[in-house]
Amino acid sequence: MLTKTGWPELATVGTTGRPRTAAVLAAEGLVKRYGAKNALDGFELAVRPGEIAGLVGHNGAGKTTFVEIVTGLVRPDAGRVFVDGVDALRNSRQARRLIGVAPQEQSLYVSATVRDNLRLFGALAGLRGSELRASIDQVAAELRLTQVADKQIGLLSGGQRRRTQVATALIGTARLLLLDEPTAGADPETRAALLAAVRARAAAGVAVLYATHYLPELADLGATLVVVREGKVLARGAQHDLMAGLPGELRLRFASQRAGAWDPQPADAAGSLPAELARRARHVDGEVRIASADPPADLAAILAAGCAPASVDVRRPDLDDLYRSLAEAASHAA
Amino acid sequence: MPREALHRTGALVRHNTMLMLREPGPLASRMVLPLAFLILLHPLYEQAQRGQRGIAQAVIATIVTFSLLAMSIAGSTFLTERIWHTWERVRATAAHPAELLIGKAVPVIAALLLQQAAVLGFGVAVLRLAVAGLPLLALVMMAWALTLVGMGAALGLLARSLSGLSACYDIGGMILSSLGGALVPLTAMPAWIRHVAPASPGYWAVSALEGALRGEAGRTLTASAMLLAFAAGACLIAVVRASRGWGRSAQL
Repeated sequence: MLTKTGWPELATVGTTGRPRTAAVLAAEGLVKRYGAKNALDGFELAVRPGEIAGLVGHNGAGKTTFVEIVTGLVRPDAGRVFVDGVDALRNSRQARRLIGVAPQEQSLYVSATVRDNLRLFGALAGLRGSELRASIDQVAAELRLTQVADKQIGLLSGGQRRRTQVATALIGTARLLLLDEPTAGADPETRAALLAAVRARAAAGVAVLYATHYLPELADLGATLVVVREGKVLARGAQHDLMAGLPGELRLRFASQRAGAWDPQPADAAGSLPAELARRARHVDGEVRIASADPPADLAAILAAGCAPASVDVRRPDLDDLYRSLAEAASHAA
Repeated sequence: MPREALHRTGALVRHNTMLMLREPGPLASRMVLPLAFLILLHPLYEQAQRGQRGIAQAVIATIVTFSLLAMSIAGSTFLTERIWHTWERVRATAAHPAELLIGKAVPVIAALLLQQAAVLGFGVAVLRLAVAGLPLLALVMMAWALTLVGMGAALGLLARSLSGLSACYDIGGMILSSLGGALVPLTAMPAWIRHVAPASPGYWAVSALEGALRGEAGRTLTASAMLLAFAAGACLIAVVRASRGWGRSAQL
């Protein structure tokens, strides 16, 4: 189900201004301007315990600005943010005690070891003594960093650095994890380790805000989608529900009969397509591309019309299709 | 300071000390160079000014000049945090900006005090430097170290690159040191320099150290107060800059 943003739990009661909410993260009416540009423009969001909310949107959509506001690094021009009931704008440090954050950019002490980095961020998260040492070992094992725990960050591979970056967010007892593109450029091993760790935290009741460009990753995590565009949450819901009904694409290539070699002739082939499909067809890079909400049925119609493509690819709808569809819906509504 | 804040500050001090010791080159050079300078040049000062005055001038010149250059230890420790993007990261934790600054400043102050102590110790043990006011000297050393760490932090937080920072220390350090009358007594300098000298913290450092070595409490305390005023101004700039952060629009 595609739901409108701004969940009902955000309503406030009494004189405390504290939201009556089960949400660990609740943002209401956030506005942030940088000069003439609105980085956030009425941003609303609630993330419940155990939920992984996948924050998706193009570069500049407002994802990182939102993360920076929640962590107290940037002050919004308007709006409110609560972390586990704590007003994150008025009591920023108290709210930050409840947050583990892995920013988009690598932010590690390069001349220090993995263990040194984890020791510092664990201590700043309130751990000490044997509890701190045990947490370092546990997080390092979870993210497959045990073998390199005593190596300097500068000597690690990109994937190992990524895992260390996320480990600094996971150490401690955060109620909310803010992970900003944690797997960008990561290899499959790194990605698997990170996703497993995130899943484990969510299973333990931690709310996770996971900014990314990779939809398959969010499907792996069982995350709900928060689609952000121009500083607003455009849509919020389960990935399956949001993507349902979006057209995919049939991509057909045709072999030339005359030359006997591979020689796509999409213009001729499109001419023999059923009329209804030909109207939707585009010729791109030697292919015939047909937007299709029901690819098997459309392919059957193509074959029945005597059209014999040499190869057929079915492209599933992706994030771009979702943006386009949501943007069109928004402009129609306007 | 609440227990939690103490715990966090302690963790930051330990961490920053470890970072400093992990790359000991700059620290070692700031310790060794002043001693080499003092060994080579003290005969010149002694000949020019005779006896204790010459020895005192040699020791003070060494301390002020090389401790101004050692501001680079303070500045680079802050600038490195910005280059590594760790400053924004630690700001996103429960630590207060003051805890972060104390955590960075304590190891640097310790290094600066060690440098001054090494030069003074060498002066006393080898050159027979006379110290009339030891408690005053301790006060001056602390005031001067605070001034240096404040100025170093402000520069480290304002600089846009390591090369820019390095130029600031090398050129600025030598100018402030010369202007303050550390290398050459002000009485031997042109009149206009004597007029502008009080604008240099180096001038007050020289004055405070001379006062402490001679046991002149009034002069020492006045000069130390001026040093602390410089320190306060620099720290204010550093705190404002540090608590605002840089965001993604920053060059670093």
